[in-house]
Amino acid sequence: MKLLQAINLTKKFPNKLAVNNISLTINQGDLVALLGPNGAGKSTTLNMLIGVSQPTSGKIIFGDKSASIKDYKNEIGVVFQGSVLDANLTVKDNIMTRAHMYTRTVQLNSLIKKFELESIWKQPYCSLSGGQKRRVDIARALISSPKLLFLDEPSTGLDIQTRTKIWEVLNQLREDTGLTIVFTTHYLEESENADYVYIMDQGKVIAEDTVAGLQQKYTQNVLQLDYLTGETTTTTLDNKDEAIKILVKNAKLLTNFEYRPGTMDDVFMNLTGKEIR
Amino acid sequence: MKGLMYRNLKIYFSNKSGVFFSLMGALISFVLYLIFLRQNMVSSWSSVPDTKLLLDPWLIGGTLTITAITTTLSSLSLMVQDRGKNTLSDLSLTDVSYLGIQCSYLLTAMIVGIIMQLVMYFMMGGYFMIADNSPLEMAIFPQIFGIIVLSSFIWTAFNLLLLSFVKKIDTLGKIGTIVGTASGFLAGVYIPIGMLPTTVQQFMKYTPALYNTAIYRNILMNTQLQHSFKNFPVSVLNSFKDNMGISVKWGSQILTNQQDSLVILSFAVVISMVAVLIFRFSRRVVISRA
Ligand SMILES: Nc1ncnc2c1ncn2[C@@H]1O[C@H](COP(=O)(O)OP(=O)(O)OP(=O)(O)O)[C@@H](O)[C@H]1O
Ligand SMILES: [Mg+2]
Repeated sequence: MKLLQAINLTKKFPNKLAVNNISLTINQGDLVALLGPNGAGKSTTLNMLIGVSQPTSGKIIFGDKSASIKDYKNEIGVVFQGSVLDANLTVKDNIMTRAHMYTRTVQLNSLIKKFELESIWKQPYCSLSGGQKRRVDIARALISSPKLLFLDEPSTGLDIQTRTKIWEVLNQLREDTGLTIVFTTHYLEESENADYVYIMDQGKVIAEDTVAGLQQKYTQNVLQLDYLTGETTTTTLDNKDEAIKILVKNAKLLTNFEYRPGTMDDVFMNLTGKEIR
Repeated sequence: MKGLMYRNLKIYFSNKSGVFFSLMGALISFVLYLIFLRQNMVSSWSSVPDTKLLLDPWLIGGTLTITAITTTLSSLSLMVQDRGKNTLSDLSLTDVSYLGIQCSYLLTAMIVGIIMQLVMYFMMGGYFMIADNSPLEMAIFPQIFGIIVLSSFIWTAFNLLLLSFVKKIDTLGKIGTIVGTASGFLAGVYIPIGMLPTTVQQFMKYTPALYNTAIYRNILMNTQLQHSFKNFPVSVLNSFKDNMGISVKWGSQILTNQQDSLVILSFAVVISMVAVLIFRFSRRVVISRA
């Protein structure tokens, strides 16, 4: 089921076309990635979806009708790229004051547990580590039990363990509640978890599909051979019969081999001719 | 809205150095007075008995006005800060309406102004009670409290107007410094109004600060004025009041407390109306910053 659609969104700043006529469809329950290098227009796109900035043209459809942010602000939670929490206030104050800004009843205890906030509950937000801050950010965005969560670069600047940890919690949440998540990232590996990926560059969506679809469309398979001598070779090769032939021919010389589709790195490289990092 | 006001108050009071700096103007006037202003004035009015007891409440009156100006500004600055970051957009995702968000900044600023004036009032009153045996009259407290609320109101409105022109967070610090310094002069605290050139005096009459201070001083000094001046003709008392900024004169007419209050209220109404108008125009700009 389609939850949120953006149709031909464009955002012109006085001296910059930041987002150029892009369309997105976000299905209920999906994890959707906006992948792109710095300055691609990811945040600008997100900002239009959450009502922070007005599109120059284009429209947004929530559920099945054309909508403005007022119609669906109750249904979304947002974690901004630069944190918006109050630095001098404790985690507790940040969370509790926020909870009081909703008229509906809110679920706090399970959030506090899931995001392991007890140990940092009384600490000022500004004294937290990057990973702890992110946990609080996300927990706070979920206070109102939104259907749709927007995360702008949720894991930039975090180490790999923290990143994994955060995604574990988010995935658990998706399983438990069917939460839909839209996130931006410039980490290719991170986009590999997504159900659907939009690749953005210079304000445009240059490719979109599932991860498998993108790999199939934009990369060739890779054959990696590990020889008895300790040598390793990799060749791109999109023909399984050819691959089998090579394997059979070299069977005696090999310790191991791998035949796999290209990675998201390859997808990005092939689409833009440049590395993302 | 309660949740949001609570947040705003917490932010103001949890920033200790921020609280201190928002009182800077008031503290400067207090220290300046202790170090040399008082000495100066005591000697220039040496014919009047108990000059010290007269001047202590005089200082309190002016300092309370400064406090009202600077603390409401400091609290209201949060509005600009939230606007400058994505905080305002984030807040507008909650169930608090846009109007509610804006009102909560104003109400918070008023509450901060009231609390900080009370704190300053009792701090200075307590100090002078110990140091100079100046009485802290509780009988006038209800009146003082009324003026405290009125001052908070007018200066919140004034600062709202001032801050509607501020887009950048960096500008806030500069504005704070300018307002802090200017308020000391406009309220007639650093220098008694009578010692300033007439053009400056005239200009001061177009700002609400002077009237604010005058009401405070009128109430605070009333008892002591009657004591000190009981053996002088009324004209001497009136000229003292005029020179020291205890009452404001329009032409030959000396304004009463009620008239001062009315002047302040009219200022507040006009300022609020202008602020609301500007606010209306800029509303779209404010929500979507780009
Ligand atoms: N308010 C603005 N005024 C003018 N130009 C802007 C504004 N906001 C963004 N831009 C420009 O629009 C382009 C896209 O910016 P955006 O922040 O959307 O990129 P991004 O993909 O989120 O990048 P990053 O990965 O660095 O966060 C950039 O070139 C940026 O300079
Ligand atoms: Mg961004």
